[in-house]
Amino acid sequence: MARTISSRQTTVATIAAWFLAFLMFFPILWIVILSFKTEGDAIGTPFHVLTSGWTTEAYSAVQERSDYPKHFMNSVIISLGSTFLGLLIAVPAAWAMAFVPGKRTKDVLMWMLSTKMLPPVGVLVPIYLIFRDWGLLDTLTGLTMVLMLINLPIIVWMLYTYFKEIPGEILEAARMDGASLKSEILYVLTPMAVPGIASTALLNIILAWNEAFWTLNLTAAKAAPLTAFIASYSSPEGLFYAKLSAASVMAIAPILVMGWFSQKQLVRGLTFGAVK
Amino acid sequence: MATQHSKTAARWMISPAVIMLLAWMIIPLSLTLYFSFLRYNLLMPGTNPFVGFENYEYFFTDPGFQAALINTILLVVGVLIITVVGGIAFAILLDQPIKGQGIVRILVIAPFFVMPTVSALVWKNMFMNPVSGIFGHMAKSIGLAPFDFLSQAPLASIIGIVSWQWLPFATLILLTAMQSLDQEQLEAAEMDGASWWSRFWYIMLPHLSRAITVVILIQTIFLLSIFAEILVTTNGGPGTASTNLTYLIYAQSLLQYDVGLGSAGGVVAIILANIVAIFLMRMIGKNLDA
Repeated sequence: MARTISSRQTTVATIAAWFLAFLMFFPILWIVILSFKTEGDAIGTPFHVLTSGWTTEAYSAVQERSDYPKHFMNSVIISLGSTFLGLLIAVPAAWAMAFVPGKRTKDVLMWMLSTKMLPPVGVLVPIYLIFRDWGLLDTLTGLTMVLMLINLPIIVWMLYTYFKEIPGEILEAARMDGASLKSEILYVLTPMAVPGIASTALLNIILAWNEAFWTLNLTAAKAAPLTAFIASYSSPEGLFYAKLSAASVMAIAPILVMGWFSQKQLVRGLTFGAVK
Repeated sequence: MATQHSKTAARWMISPAVIMLLAWMIIPLSLTLYFSFLRYNLLMPGTNPFVGFENYEYFFTDPGFQAALINTILLVVGVLIITVVGGIAFAILLDQPIKGQGIVRILVIAPFFVMPTVSALVWKNMFMNPVSGIFGHMAKSIGLAPFDFLSQAPLASIIGIVSWQWLPFATLILLTAMQSLDQEQLEAAEMDGASWWSRFWYIMLPHLSRAITVVILIQTIFLLSIFAEILVTTNGGPGTASTNLTYLIYAQSLLQYDVGLGSAGGVVAIILANIVAIFLMRMIGKNLDA
């Protein structure tokens, strides 16, 4: 008896969950569908959209717009670049804080976190003027630096929580067995730290790829990544639904795939360990 | 284990990160504060005289300020209500032994990874456009006049778009918290004849309370700074109907080139965000001790 009730419950829950999940995902599904339509078909009724022919011409049209690949590359460069630089600075810092904790380690961590709470608009004017005076406006260098800095607290914090989980006894055991500091780091710590570093990198690439305050305010035609490029469709080009959809699908697809792999890290990284 | 030698090494390893963040924080912050006391407009080059609190006076008496403050509050609170209530519902639903749970979760989380400019444009054009958007087509097919969301109800529309983006985040955090709930406790309550509602109210909700607080605080930090969604959908309009503080300050400093006024606004935004941040930091700090 109890069994049948619970299996009926499961069926109801399954149907409800699938239905709601479909609704949440629908806007993304819809632009994928529209991206394979002609411009004429894409603005038709939903019924017309679903029953009309399929084509990839919107994708070729977007690719041919000479600047799309450039903006895509800009996104790749700034998100990978800022992640790489961030790790370069954060790994030693997180490492030291996790393995050689001092009296002030906690204060430093909390202070780093507090920089993340600063509303970007509060420092927009000075950053804009400094960038203007130093010729950094609309450059990949400037943007990479800014993205590295805004995400640095999250990187340090995430790495710290991962490194903290590496048991110190293992180090002692290795030392007892006569391992030198170099081989200790190389053969004992590094293999244990790599998964944490990889997860951190993944989340940071996603955050940098989607960042849409600094990328919109500090770039123009030259260094604009996809966030800013897509924003240029806001009028009147946005009415070319098929092309807008194709450009959007290409812009979000890589990050969507990465995001699906990083659900756990997302919770850890964005809640600063407050929810596990 | 931590010798003097390793302590010195540790300091060297930490200092690049600290110095960079310190520079990133202190330099712009002090400049913002400094500019906010100057009459400084990029269109009027020349001396930038010290004017005391004049910019703050202008900022607070600007008719846009009051609208922006109210809009900011409505936007943050509106999105919080939708995402927290929706997130709790989703988390409880997805915690059931449903078929294809992994796929369902992937579909629900997906909107969070869509860049803000894309989601705003997709909703603006493909859904809310009264002529060729889906909602317009649906209204016409049942004989209603299409509703022009972004000019009739701009703020509500933006709340909808932003909620779509953040509901996955709330769901993910709350689901993670839900999964650490002791199932035996729920079963025991069920055996004792507790109704679903009382199980929800006395067991699930208290268990989630910490995660809910975290969701509220973190989302508030991000929601105070909503910018791209407004820029590509309404440009803050019509009038100031969908201007929030972030957008107002952006418009004053980068569209009207009034550095002094924009900086005063920036200082106000920082103070507001700090009020929320203090609570969040306290929670995270407690967790660090545990």
